[in-house]
Amino acid sequence: MTQDLRIWKDVQRGQAFEIEVDGVPVVAYEGETVAAALMAAGIRTTNKTAVGDEPRGICCGIGLCYGCMMVIDGVPNTRTCQTLARPGMRLETQKGLQRWEVVE
Amino acid sequence: MKNPELIIIGAGPGGIAAAVEAARAGVDVKILDENPKPGGRIYGQLNDGFKLLNPGFLGPDYEKGKVLLTEFDTIREKIDYLHDALVFATFENRTMAFHQAGKGQRLPFNKLILATGAYDRPVPFPGWTLPGVLTAGGAQTLVKMQRVLPGKNILFAGTGPLQLVVANQVLDGGGKVEAILEAGEINNWLKLLKGFSRNWGLLTDGLQYMRAIRKADVPLLRRHIILEARGDRQVEEAVIAEVDKDWRAIEKTRRILKVDTICLGYGLVPSVELTRLVGCQHRYAPDLGGWIPARNEDMETSVPGVFAVGDGAGVAGSAMATFEGRIAGISTAQSLGYISSEEARKRKKPYLNDMKKMGRLRDALDRISYPRPGLFELAHDDTIICRCEELTLGDIKSAIGKGTIEMNALKRMTRMGMGRCQGRMCAPAVQEIIARQTQTPAAEIEYLNQRPPTKLVPIDVLESLPGEFEIRHGW
Repeated sequence: MTQDLRIWKDVQRGQAFEIEVDGVPVVAYEGETVAAALMAAGIRTTNKTAVGDEPRGICCGIGLCYGCMMVIDGVPNTRTCQTLARPGMRLETQKGLQRWEVVE
Repeated sequence: MKNPELIIIGAGPGGIAAAVEAARAGVDVKILDENPKPGGRIYGQLNDGFKLLNPGFLGPDYEKGKVLLTEFDTIREKIDYLHDALVFATFENRTMAFHQAGKGQRLPFNKLILATGAYDRPVPFPGWTLPGVLTAGGAQTLVKMQRVLPGKNILFAGTGPLQLVVANQVLDGGGKVEAILEAGEINNWLKLLKGFSRNWGLLTDGLQYMRAIRKADVPLLRRHIILEARGDRQVEEAVIAEVDKDWRAIEKTRRILKVDTICLGYGLVPSVELTRLVGCQHRYAPDLGGWIPARNEDMETSVPGVFAVGDGAGVAGSAMATFEGRIAGISTAQSLGYISSEEARKRKKPYLNDMKKMGRLRDALDRISYPRPGLFELAHDDTIICRCEELTLGDIKSAIGKGTIEMNALKRMTRMGMGRCQGRMCAPAVQEIIARQTQTPAAEIEYLNQRPPTKLVPIDVLESLPGEFEIRHGW
């Protein structure tokens, strides 16, 4: 078992798989939110603010504060605490307001 | 499709209890909840993928939740329950809009029960935006629902029993708690817990938590507060101090703790976005978390047929939410003609009695743990207050200095509260800042106007909404 912040007591986790965070593979389990997988791996900064370029991370954990937002599969401003991890998901640390991919 | 007679928003304890009572009487009920499973924050269930081997870590709430959720299950075929359904707007002509699975839908409502819950009170202080600073509720969600520790060396800072509960769950999960800071007087509320334990089992739980914390040798520092979180890219240390009875720091007691995580539990703020949007009258009740909708004894708000129950109508915990939900459910059944007023009175009686008993305890607890003035004086001029728009206390003070002393004007001047969180993380604090700067009682400062959407929704969801909408006058 890898050294991470997961608690294994009293629950059994589902299937393990990988997600990609800024190009680096990170393990996640079925049923975990993206935020939980990041916290377990010790990844705390999810975005840098638009004005002050300051790091932000998961704060309220219930989808209200938007501190934990990242670019998920190309979509910026996505709350990692409200998004279930899926195999092959690609995450990027969001920088400011970030550019949207223009869909024609 | 025929329109439901009663719509309930929120499937936490209040919403479920209301649905159960109304459906039992024969009312055609639809309940919408933004989460994947019913139960709300307190009785929430693990996501699919997790298998629960032993519910011990979920605490006594789990058993209480199971009873209510089982009741919900037994009458489920009579209730139209929509999960992952986020209600983000209400409009004129008693219509609402919700988002589910990438699509926007509109729904007319007749009777409406709002059971929207509450969230952790945001308390700005230097460094509170650093990664590693979480709310106690956020930390609890991680530990309880996701089984992940929020960090390696954890400091809890706040007031009241919730942070003890979360600290216990962290310890139970093998985590390390550096210290727990209680801004108030623990001894006071412990005495209270003892006095009421004969009536209320949930309060004896508090004593158990205390014992476990003592056993784990975690320092529980009463009359202590966090002044600052420091670190380069994330939390590395916390500056703490002892406080006086107004929660103002005693400077010579200031010291530093090496921690990588800070969990803040300063009580809850009611989520009144929808009661505001519907146009209910609100009043300021700091002992119940802040602004709350005014209600009569049937839980009906100033808008006829619109009810509000649970923490979203004044923070009082899950037991109270359940009683209120039942009363609102019975009341709607009566007003729709399913039961007589005599029958309604009979069904409501036990819950009204329970509420009366609970009320006495609430009063006592509130006097002990509601925020004191020092809590609102922690921010410095360069401390961020509005996280979304990155406005500092200095920015807000300077706008106030130029004469912008009304919250909605301040919003237009500075963009305060205009960001993604829609003011949830700054407005409670800004209200106190204006109060201090203008020497006005906080209760006299008008709160932010609510506009749809109450939460962000993708633009194509708005586009997919059928029909036209008229927004409420006064926006």
